[in-house]
Parts: sequence; C-alpha cells; structure tokens
Amino acid sequence: MAKVTIKNLYKRYGKVEAVKGINLECEDKEFLCLLGPSGCGKSSTLRMIAGLEDITSGEITIDGVRVNNIHPSKRDIAMVFETYALYPHKTVFKNMSYPLRIRKLSKSEILTRVQRAAEILEITDLMDRYPRELSGGQKQRVAIGRAIVRNPKVFLMDEPISHLDAKLRAHMRGELKHLQKELSQTFIYVTHDQLEAMSMADRIAVMNHGLLQQYDSPHNIFNQPANQFVAGFVGDPPMNFIECILTVEDGWKLKHDEFELSLEDKVQQKVQAQTPQFSGALNVTLGIRPESITIKREKTKPNEIAGQVYITEPLGSDLIVDVTVGQERLKIKTTSSFEGDRGAKVFLEMVPDKIHLFDAQTSKSLM
Amino acid sequence: MDPRLAKTLKIIAVTLFLLWTVIPIIFLVASSFKATGDIFDLPPVGDWVGMLKLLFFFKASFTQFRNMFIEGPFFTYLGNSLLATGLSVLISVPLGLLAAYALSRGRIPGKKHFYFWVISTRMAPPVAVMVPLYVLWRSFHILQTLPGLVLAYTTFNLPFSIWLLRGFMDSIPKELEEAAYVDGRGRFRAFTDIVFPLIAPGVGATVILCSLMAWNDYLFALILGGRAAKTIPVGISELESATSILWGQIMAGGTVLIIPMIILGLVIKKFLVTGLTMGAMRG
Repeated sequence: MAKVTIKNLYKRYGKVEAVKGINLECEDKEFLCLLGPSGCGKSSTLRMIAGLEDITSGEITIDGVRVNNIHPSKRDIAMVFETYALYPHKTVFKNMSYPLRIRKLSKSEILTRVQRAAEILEITDLMDRYPRELSGGQKQRVAIGRAIVRNPKVFLMDEPISHLDAKLRAHMRGELKHLQKELSQTFIYVTHDQLEAMSMADRIAVMNHGLLQQYDSPHNIFNQPANQFVAGFVGDPPMNFIECILTVEDGWKLKHDEFELSLEDKVQQKVQAQTPQFSGALNVTLGIRPESITIKREKTKPNEIAGQVYITEPLGSDLIVDVTVGQERLKIKTTSSFEGDRGAKVFLEMVPDKIHLFDAQTSKSLM
Repeated sequence: MDPRLAKTLKIIAVTLFLLWTVIPIIFLVASSFKATGDIFDLPPVGDWVGMLKLLFFFKASFTQFRNMFIEGPFFTYLGNSLLATGLSVLISVPLGLLAAYALSRGRIPGKKHFYFWVISTRMAPPVAVMVPLYVLWRSFHILQTLPGLVLAYTTFNLPFSIWLLRGFMDSIPKELEEAAYVDGRGRFRAFTDIVFPLIAPGVGATVILCSLMAWNDYLFALILGGRAAKTIPVGISELESATSILWGQIMAGGTVLIIPMIILGLVIKKFLVTGLTMGAMRG
C-alpha cells in the first residue's frame, strides 16, 4: 500500500507563492501526472513529496505516515531527475547499485537486481561505461534503472523524457507506462507535455499559477475541462475560443458579430444545471476543439459559419486549416483530402455536443 | 599563415620560454652540488660548450648541504618550514571545505556579505596587516612560536581555500546530492560519497596553492616567527651578511626549497584531472 496524500500544501520562496493550497490523493499503484506550464508549481510539489524542498504549510503523507519532517533518505522513494543526475565518477553498474549498497544488500542480490533492471531497460551492455560515455536516451534509462532496482513505496519522476528527441520520447512514453504496469507501483510524474500526461496517466492533476485546476482522468480532463485554462492546455492543436453572448430570449443562442448558433437541448440543460438563476444574457467563451469542427467548401446547413482560409498546415494524414471568421482565427483539424488555398471561402460546422462554454469572467466551465 | 611555419614559430617560442624558465633552476641545482670555489668558475665569453660542461659535467660535492644541514641549523629550519606549511594546510583545507560547502549549499542569511568579507581579507597585501598581527600575536603570547606561525599562515590560507573550493563546489550540480539523498544517504555521506570525489581535483589544487603560499613565505616567518620558528627562506636570507655572501649554501637552500613543491606537484598532478563531471547531467 503506497497511497500519497497531499493536504492544503503551500510553498513560498520568499514573497513568491509557488504552490497555493493543493489537495491531492494518489491511490496505491496509480500513475498520477502533475501537468502544467513552466512555473505552475508542479516540480515544487514533487520536490516536496520527495523531501527535497521544505513544506511551507500543509501536510504530505506516504502510506499513511506524515513525512513533512522526514529526510528524503528515510521516505523510501525513488526519483528520476530531469537532468538524470547520474554520478559522473561511477560506472553505470555502480550508479544503479548505489542505492542497494547503501541498504547493505548482499553482492549476489545486488547483481541479480541490477541485472534484472538492466534487462528490462535493455542496457545490459552499458554496465562498465561512465555517464559521460552515454547518449541522452541511455542516460535516461540508467537514471530509471537506478530507481527501479529498489522496491520503493513511490516513484517520482520530474520530466524524465523531456530532453529526448521526439521519436525517442514517443517510444519512452509507451515504455514507461508498460514499466509502471509491470512494476505495479505508485508513480507520480511531472510534465509540461500534455501528450505525455494524456497517454500515460491514470489521473492527471492540471496546475497553473500554483493552483490545482482539475484532478481527473485523462478522458474527463479532455472532454469535460473544468475551466478555460485546462481546456486550452490539453489537446493539440489547442481548443479554439470565441467570445460570444449567450441569450435565451428567442431560444438558447450564442451570438457573435459573424454568426449565431442555436444550442442543443443537452447543452442547455448542462448550462442550466450550472447556472440555475440565469435568464437574460451572459458573456461567455465558446470553446471548440479543432477536430470537432467540420470544414466544407459549400454551405449545406443553416448553422454553418462562413470563413476564409488563412493558411494550411499539412501533417501527413491530417491537415490543420487556419480559418479567419471576422476578427477570430480558428484551427480546424481535417483530413489531407481537403482542398482549399489561402483566401478560399469555407463553411464551418461545429459538432453540437462537442461545444464547451465558459463564463467569460471566471473562466469556469458552464457545462 | 602557413601551418608549418606557425608550428615552427610555436616550437621556437616554447623552447625559448622553457630555456628562460629551466636554465636558472638547472644553474641553481648544479651550483648547490659544487664546491664553493667551483661556483664562480666561468668559461671564456662565447664558449657555449664550456658553459654546458660547467652546468652538467662537474665534480659533485655535498659540501654545501653538509655545511648547512649537519654543521649548520638548517635541519631545524626545514622542520619548521614543513611543520608550519603542513599544519596550516591541514587546518585551512578541511575547514575551507566545510565553509565552502555551507556557503555553496546552505540557506544562510547574509551569505553573500559573509562571502565578500571572507574574500576581502585577501585584498590587502600581507604587509598591511603585519603591525596589527604583531601586536595581536604578542598579546596572545604566540609571537616567535611555531603555533603562532601556523596560525598566521592559516589566517591567509583559509579565506583563499574557502574562495577556491566554493567555486569548485558550485560547479557540482545540486541534483547529484539530491539523488544521493533519495537513494538513501544523509547529508554527510552524500558529501563524502558524491561531492568530495568530484571536487578532489579542486582540493588538490587548493592544497598545492596553500602549500606554496606558506612554504615560500618570508614576511610572516621573519616578523612573527622570529628566532624560535625560523623557516628556510628566513634562514637563507641570513646567509648574506655584512662580511660575506655564502652563495653555495644559498644555492643549496634554494634547491631544498623547490624540491618539496616539485614532488607535491607531481603527486597531486594525477588528481588534477578535470572534466570528471562532464556528461553527468543531460546533454
């Protein structure tokens, strides 16, 4: 059992508040991702779990034990650093066996465990090399190897693959997820890459400005974002946002200078559930993902919005089309079969049940 | 420029520099093994072969060394020099290491000002503090004692050692220690296991430089050491009197003075391998 609980966690560096009252529960054997942009407080949170940063206030428990004042060496955690932090004067074998030698394991046990970890990570032929003789990907594997030779309560990973090239990163995402399932251990993983979080995590904690924005499954984070920040941060290309006015006078409608959009009953019910006292008009932000817009050359339905192609970005099988609608610029993800040069007139249809609405003032989801 | 010409010029420049540096040392060592009369034996002007012969082929004699070390008091001076230098290095380097670690890693209020103060003590030339030191040493009753001399060298070596070692310490990424903590080591063992091996070349360099400072010192030994803690440089200076200059013994003293430093340099050289930390981190 290695459940990690964070209660009302704060971290201040002088006058700067890096983490502002985070509450999280990471279940045993769960893969939790802390996701957010640079400076959002995710690494500070991880470092507080590791014990490498003092906790300003709040509480962290690992396995039910309050660890606030326990030295990292006594927390029974393993950590992979963004910079790998391999000991430069030790060979790969000595790097990986170091935590085991500290625990005074027998030589044969050390050899067996290091060998097993090396086999999992496919680095058996690197054992006698020094870190300076390794490539980035190899260093990263050794750093993971040093963590998995032990059987710690929690694995902490601070952007461990962010410095690898795109191809290796994609490969390592799968490998890490597989490793977590195989080891069946609690993983807390920090990343700024939403793709990593979405593809690996059981649950994602999205952070911004030191605050927890949403803590949910990748599916819910993507499909039911709690606010405009989460909606915009997760997904590639990011969600399109358009300032509109929501009115109910002659049916539920979104009004914009360039278009008017009738809302489906399902959307109406959701908004009503969130804002029961709402009548009249409300400033809202319409959110729609690039893949939830259909782009056509001809107008076929009344709800379709007219626009002009600004530029196209071919991505092999997919095509990203940037379309101008009045003052707005929208991204639309379509197939490469779409034909439309710069300036071509196009019509956009938004998939009705994929629409998101956010309060323009608070940025909170209205759905 | 033609690369061959550049190479030739480089070789000529290096050779000239080497001759400029090495010839006085050869002359010093050769003269110290000559009898007093032979030192001033010079060949006719322009006789370079004769000059080389005088430098390398002569009748070796240990007269100068015998006069100094067996008949004279230089064994005591050598002992004083070794003790004063050794003890001051033994105190300054470990203390400097601890202070540098604290300054590099610790969250100490006013750390910057403290560090500047440490450095500032080395900004004034030693002679500027000689009078206050003399007064202090006298009131502490450590004037003209070996411990007094050791303390004097330490006052100068310690700030230097802190300054130098802090630079090395700062170059070691903090994550390496943090990795050791997470792996199960406390602060002290993380230091001895990880930090110390990585800054060993820096410690070696600090030992050499602190030793050189104390070993070559004349001023402190003359004024604070006095008669009771006379070191080799002071002893050599006394070989020149109003009536005579004992060139042979001066040369032998010079030879004795440079040998330990050459040995120390050679011993520590293998630790002075840089680039140990290269490739430890990503990239």
